[in-house]
Amino acid sequence: MKYSIFSLARAALSSHKNWGRAWRDPAPKSHYDVVIIGGGGHGLATAYFLAKEYGIRNIAVLEKGWIGSGNAGRNTTIIRSNYMLPGNTSFYELSMKLWERMEQDLNYNTMVSQRGIINLYHSDAQRDAFARRGNAMRINGIDAELLDATEIRKILPFLNYDNARFPIQGGLMQRRGGTARHDAVVWGYARAADEFGVDIIQNCEVTGFQRTNGRITGVETSRGIIGAGKVGMAVAGSSSRVAAMAGLRLPIESHVLQAFVSEAIKPLIPGVVTFGAGHFYVSQSDKGGLVFGGDLDGYNSYAQRGNMPVMEDVCEGGMAIMPMIGRVRLLRQWGGIMDMSMDGTPIIDKTPVDGLYLNAGWCYGGFKATPASGLVFAHLLARDEPHEEGRRFRLDRFRRGAMIDEKGQGAQPNLH
Amino acid sequence: MRIACPFCGARDSGEFTYLGDASPKRPDAPIDGGTAVEDQFYDYVYLRDNVAGLTREYWYHGGGCRSWLIAERSTTTHEFKSVTAAPGAGAAKAKQAGER
Amino acid sequence: MPDFVWSSQSPLKKALVPGRHGAGKAAPGVSLSHVSDIALVQVMTRRGRNADVAKAAKKLFGAEPPAALKISSGKVVTLVWSGPDQFLAFSELPQTAPSVEQQEQAFAGSASLSNQSDGRCQIRISGPNARDALAKMTSLDLHDTVFPVGSAATTSIDHTAVNFWREADDASGNPVYVALVFTSFSDTLWHLFVESSLEYGVEVAAIGAGH
Ligand SMILES: Cc1cc2nc3c(=O)[nH]c(=O)nc-3n(C[C@H](O)[C@H](O)[C@H](O)COP(=O)(O)OP(=O)(O)OC[C@H]3O[C@@H](n4cnc5c(N)ncnc54)[C@H](O)[C@@H]3O)c2cc1C
Ligand SMILES: [Zn+2]
Repeated sequence: MKYSIFSLARAALSSHKNWGRAWRDPAPKSHYDVVIIGGGGHGLATAYFLAKEYGIRNIAVLEKGWIGSGNAGRNTTIIRSNYMLPGNTSFYELSMKLWERMEQDLNYNTMVSQRGIINLYHSDAQRDAFARRGNAMRINGIDAELLDATEIRKILPFLNYDNARFPIQGGLMQRRGGTARHDAVVWGYARAADEFGVDIIQNCEVTGFQRTNGRITGVETSRGIIGAGKVGMAVAGSSSRVAAMAGLRLPIESHVLQAFVSEAIKPLIPGVVTFGAGHFYVSQSDKGGLVFGGDLDGYNSYAQRGNMPVMEDVCEGGMAIMPMIGRVRLLRQWGGIMDMSMDGTPIIDKTPVDGLYLNAGWCYGGFKATPASGLVFAHLLARDEPHEEGRRFRLDRFRRGAMIDEKGQGAQPNLH
Repeated sequence: MRIACPFCGARDSGEFTYLGDASPKRPDAPIDGGTAVEDQFYDYVYLRDNVAGLTREYWYHGGGCRSWLIAERSTTTHEFKSVTAAPGAGAAKAKQAGER
Repeated sequence: MPDFVWSSQSPLKKALVPGRHGAGKAAPGVSLSHVSDIALVQVMTRRGRNADVAKAAKKLFGAEPPAALKISSGKVVTLVWSGPDQFLAFSELPQTAPSVEQQEQAFAGSASLSNQSDGRCQIRISGPNARDALAKMTSLDLHDTVFPVGSAATTSIDHTAVNFWREADDASGNPVYVALVFTSFSDTLWHLFVESSLEYGVEVAAIGAGH
């Protein structure tokens, strides 16, 4: 069914009790041309683009829990394309362009809201770094504006401009950045992929690989063996665990990142504000809650929950830059498991195992990448060669010394 | 998470800094050892077991006694099984386990 | 180049305001004081030389090095455990404490020394509500059974490293704690101590000529 003003009106006549389900709940078939492991945003987007752009329809997405139960449903929903290094810049801009037409493409309201993102700076050195980043964006055709404190004050009058340690000097603004509703993105891709015949199979955990002469021929799952022409991994924080089933070690560590939501308050924050120097960023959801977060907890974890020191640190950062949030109560808090790569940049590539493909290393920033990641990974799976925008995200770049390290931290994943 | 420093007792995890997996051993190889050595270093610097379960890892009690520690901790439950001094911590023994 | 003599002054010169602050008129719940003139030497035992250090300490200070998480009291100097195989030799009577030179001679070859007299700021917290005020800022368990008189810890208060110990109770039987803070951080922590104590009423005093 196509969603429109008419379908809405029709459903209203029966008090919205007769909406059909948005995607099927099929039993797994014995064989698929492509099996995607992981029903997060990336896995579902990959299936959608494989079907839509590359004409492959015999596809299954296997999800061990329910779709969107991983990071896709745990992130703080920020989308942006303010990257600096070759490889990242144009990839994330491709993603931004796909966000801008996503709702039409999917016939689904993913609540893409380009409210702007501002990265605050507090020193001359930080301003210079942001100027450089902004210039790198602009020569690549991406919007960026360097604003001074007076201009920031007009947009965000409530910030603490005179903090002795972190006085606000200005900020780098990307007006096309913003937020999107994370669950809706998952549901939108699921529904659109399902319409192309993709089987979305939930409560189906992959527990091993089947191989013939070294080549992957299928997966073992909690719902039986499923044959596969090709297998694509899009399991985010579980990447090392799944790769280990195929005997692979990855340049990835799993780390926990926490997010926080306050009680709902009246509209206050117009867009996204990041206070990187103080490990704090915030936006406001349509329901009114302040959605905020900070840094990784810092230790390897698969536990999807964090610890008190980081909660304290994030709240202290918030209080430093926006003292009045001290009056707001915290409503919810949770954690997600990040696939932190050794240079902070993703990997979309074939693996050394024939028939097994990898989409991983998204760190804490893979939500914004969802559409482009799906397209680029679908291209690789369909054509067996990298998409133009995925050429630099190769698995062997660490061995070759071709890292893409935006932060310049080196191989210390908890610092990216 | 509270971490039982062998010197200070149980402390809030905020007093500690994490380094990571204590298993990788720096390859003991000549500088111009060719691609075989490069492979070993690639492995050492970039690849991780990233275990789901019990791991041995380095923690630093920077907010306390400033000792390097080795903890056995589960990455799935955050439970600590043991915390011991890393080789070199403290001067009481002339030489410690693992030291050359 | 002309000779220049650095005049030392208390890092709390501005922050410390003597007198009564905060709630109530009755006896204060917390007493905060600061001694500006201290002698402080960090003694770090060299590998395998613990016995020599113990002997030298006994002879010089009249006290053995403290056991882990403890202090030991000599004639004028308190030895405060500060980590495995290291301690601080602390005195509020710098003129009568063994000089740094004397200490260097006593520990020559067996320990490495570092004079921290101007590097740390001493703050004493006592009174019936001292523990309540401290509970707001430290994650240490200060209950009598866990942190009795003579206990010591190296810990962080408000992300700031401190050496912390408990001295003999005061005349009214209330606990007495001492914190050593890096001088450049002491102003911040002092404000934190005062503010955390205001609700109990706090008496502030400065002791010593350097203030
Ligand atoms: C707190 C937090 C805040 C974040 N904020 C942002 C942000 O503001 N902007 C941004 O761009 N990014 C953000 N991210 C990062 C972003 O959420 C992730 O990079 C992205 O969601 C990862 O891709 P995914 O959606 O496919 O992952 P997931 O949703 O995690 O999908 C992986 C799926 O694989 C499944 N799976 C795992 N193992 C198996 C198995 N053996 N068999 C079957 N299925 C399996 C999991 O159950 C999971 O559903 C944030 C993340 C977190 C945790
Ligand atoms: Zn310790």
